[in-house]
Amino acid sequence: MADAAISGQGRRVIFRQGTVLKAVVLLLLVALIVLPLIRTVLFTLQPDTIEAWSDVLSGRLSKNLFYKPLGNTLLIGVVVSMACVLLGGFLAWLVVMTNVPFRKTIGVMATLPFMIPSFAAALAWGALFRNDRVGGQLGWLEGLGLDIPNWLAWGMVPTLIVLTLHYFSLAFTIIAAALATVNSDLVEAAQIAGAKGRRILMGIILPVTTPALVAAGSLCFAGAVSNFATPALLGLPVRMQTLSTRLFGMIEVGQVERGYVIGILLVLISGAFLWAGNRIVSGRRSYATITGKGGRAKRFDLRGARWPLCAVAAVILISSTVIPVIVLTASSLAPSSANLFSNWTLHYWLGESDPSFAQGIPGIAYNEDIVRALTITLGLGLAVAFTGMFVGLLASYTTARFREGWASAAITQISFLPLLVPGIAFGAAYIAYLGAPIGPLPALYGTFALLVIAGTAYLLPFSVQTGRAVIQQVGGELEESARITGASFVRRLFAITVPLAIRGLAAGGILIFVKIVRDLSLVVLLFTPTMPVLSVVAYRYASEGFGQFANAITVVILFISIAATMIANRLQTKSQPWLQN
Amino acid sequence: MLEICNLTKRFGNFEAVKDVSISVPDGAFLVLLGPSGCGKTTLLRMLAGLELPSAGQIVFDGNPVSDGDRNWTVDPAKRNSGLVFQSYALWPHMSVRGNVEWPLKVMRMPKADRAARVSEVLRLLDIAQLADRYPNEISGGQQQRVAIARTIAPKPSVLLFDEPLSNLDAKLRVEMRTELMRLHRATGATTVYVTHDQIEAMTMATHVAVMNHGRVQQFGTPADLVDHPETAFVATFVGTPPNNMVPVVKNGTGFKVGGRHMPLIPPADDCLAMYRAEAMTLSDIEGETTLSMELVETSAIAGRIMVTGLRDGLRLTAIVDRVPEARIGETIQFCLPPLPDSWFGHDGERIT
Repeated sequence: MADAAISGQGRRVIFRQGTVLKAVVLLLLVALIVLPLIRTVLFTLQPDTIEAWSDVLSGRLSKNLFYKPLGNTLLIGVVVSMACVLLGGFLAWLVVMTNVPFRKTIGVMATLPFMIPSFAAALAWGALFRNDRVGGQLGWLEGLGLDIPNWLAWGMVPTLIVLTLHYFSLAFTIIAAALATVNSDLVEAAQIAGAKGRRILMGIILPVTTPALVAAGSLCFAGAVSNFATPALLGLPVRMQTLSTRLFGMIEVGQVERGYVIGILLVLISGAFLWAGNRIVSGRRSYATITGKGGRAKRFDLRGARWPLCAVAAVILISSTVIPVIVLTASSLAPSSANLFSNWTLHYWLGESDPSFAQGIPGIAYNEDIVRALTITLGLGLAVAFTGMFVGLLASYTTARFREGWASAAITQISFLPLLVPGIAFGAAYIAYLGAPIGPLPALYGTFALLVIAGTAYLLPFSVQTGRAVIQQVGGELEESARITGASFVRRLFAITVPLAIRGLAAGGILIFVKIVRDLSLVVLLFTPTMPVLSVVAYRYASEGFGQFANAITVVILFISIAATMIANRLQTKSQPWLQN
Repeated sequence: MLEICNLTKRFGNFEAVKDVSISVPDGAFLVLLGPSGCGKTTLLRMLAGLELPSAGQIVFDGNPVSDGDRNWTVDPAKRNSGLVFQSYALWPHMSVRGNVEWPLKVMRMPKADRAARVSEVLRLLDIAQLADRYPNEISGGQQQRVAIARTIAPKPSVLLFDEPLSNLDAKLRVEMRTELMRLHRATGATTVYVTHDQIEAMTMATHVAVMNHGRVQQFGTPADLVDHPETAFVATFVGTPPNNMVPVVKNGTGFKVGGRHMPLIPPADDCLAMYRAEAMTLSDIEGETTLSMELVETSAIAGRIMVTGLRDGLRLTAIVDRVPEARIGETIQFCLPPLPDSWFGHDGERIT
């Protein structure tokens, strides 16, 4: 032992520590994220496609191709993000800072809408509010004898309402987290200075949480402008186009280069807003408050307003979570959505093919296409969960261990790049990237592999974030102290890292699974009849007028998402056995 | 013998450790002392093999273990050293016994030897009764002992400590200090200990390297540092209370000492005069060598009184026998002895 440090045991360090790892991760990220985007741009710059730019931006059709959809898109973005910050901020304030009744329940309910796919709410809206404008089935309210005006049944207004009811929960999560860090000392110091409720809110709490408000607003904006399902289901039937539905339409009719140009412009718009939001936030000093003692914040006493405000919150939350679920379930059982709650039948679920019923389409349990789509969707979810967590862990480990150098900064930046890219544009980019053969590699269009690769790349920001949380839990000195004992990388992995990180990894993987299972915008362009996924099948049924099947499939997706989310939450919150005291 | 030769570590353009050369004999207790950010932890991490030096060598017992010039290093596990982390870095999913045993398992020590060695070190650190607890079930001081037990179990010939006592409360810190010195005698391992606390350095070390801005300011025994500080930084960083450093500037034909003309002939026009706190006295009236200061602190230390005055950023401390009559905030006269204990140049280097 005494002379173990014999010179013969040393080794030459050829590269600086981490160089190899950094290079590998960087190459991987470039291949997954940067190349598809570059390839899309290059595609539109070829001699025979470059015309698409002038067609879209200045040609005779440009008004319909681009400027009208752009106007709609921006209107949606601005209205939805403002409404979301107001609604989400109001609920966050109620939950975190006041003594409103049922605070905890409101807090849990407010995070749910984001778990529900946005096309679920759009479908539910249709089941309730459809009128006879575009033919097909009538909604329940018309069935009750109410006359639903066109503006409430179709187009911009329902799109705005549905998107707001979906994205406000994102704003809630961000703002509530920021409010929770407002140290109770800050509020108490203001109280001692003699400030009253409103003064504290305007003078202390609002300024401190401004970065969170801006961040919430810009994320909701980016989400709303890139959303595809809601404007497609509620707007397209009355020819209301947004950039994302235009992009979809162009590619569907084979005008690929115009579609790509619109996609690039959509990326630039949503990216510009996110960037601007980020600039506003980072331009000012960070107010991240250091919470030493988790003192109990004194809650604002709402006095007489307690129950009325609770009722307001209840209306918002019930209409964004409970009603869509009830309506979708009922409508998957009712032969006519005008009579949602009568003549229920299980045909749409369990029925055999019957030519007199729904053009002979069998119930979803016997429908081969749907069963196949279900298996593919679940397989896709699992595969992306694994590959996503793997790449995410690798990238976050690399940047955590080797912080210095431009390569680490580049890895971080690139891994968050997909946040700027709307799902449908990312899907388009992947068609441009892997749709045609690259050298010896075959074209991947219509294969499972394409879906997995695109899904992994698209969800990388999320998996890197999860991976970073895991690494923070186990990284640093815990891992170093194992390295010092001489344990090999594999041994450290299984004896130290995995046991400590397994719950976090599992929870992160499940959440990725949920995100991919309920995603529509990314896969809607990658979909082929040979490689169907549930969300696209549901969308197709809905646009062909078979609302019941669409709704039944959506209920299945909802069930899978909610169950998986609950398992993930369980894993995250349940304390580890060795931490139990 | 532990030798460090011309060791340098650069992070990008920043030089964390600059051209450090130190050597200590086997069994020494070397303390790396300095303020935060002085490079002492980086130096320790290079000794442990966690960082590769940018230049220079580290040699344990005649065997080079790191060579920055040739980009050559021995793996952390193969250099026969052990590191106790500041955060302790106990693996939370293993019991106390598991934490101590795992490094031995990795070394492929036979099971029976392993059990014997584990109970031996647990007894040595007086934590045998905690063997089956998990790290979160024991106190900070006990976690500290487990971390040390885990590190000494494989019998490393070089023991490295990264500010091990900084997370403990004052009383426990004093106890652990004694404990660590006992352990050092018991194991005989050459120990390198990083701290910013000069009292720890003065009480525990056989050798101290005082570091600042990545350089070793002075290397010597604790007594050397107190008796003969090489730089103004060392003179004011080491010792309780620290030495007084009074600026002397040429003014016309005479010299201003602490802003006041005094009959003193410095070795240079612009320099610093060092006075030990015990050489200073207080006076009731202004005299030829008094400086009037605002009284800011008094405290009783070992039967004597430590008095601190402040004026224009100059801080003076005297150790006297009686509490001054002036109250905090009032003006008192500090009386300088006729000659300072040392002179330092404007650049901080010692002159005489």
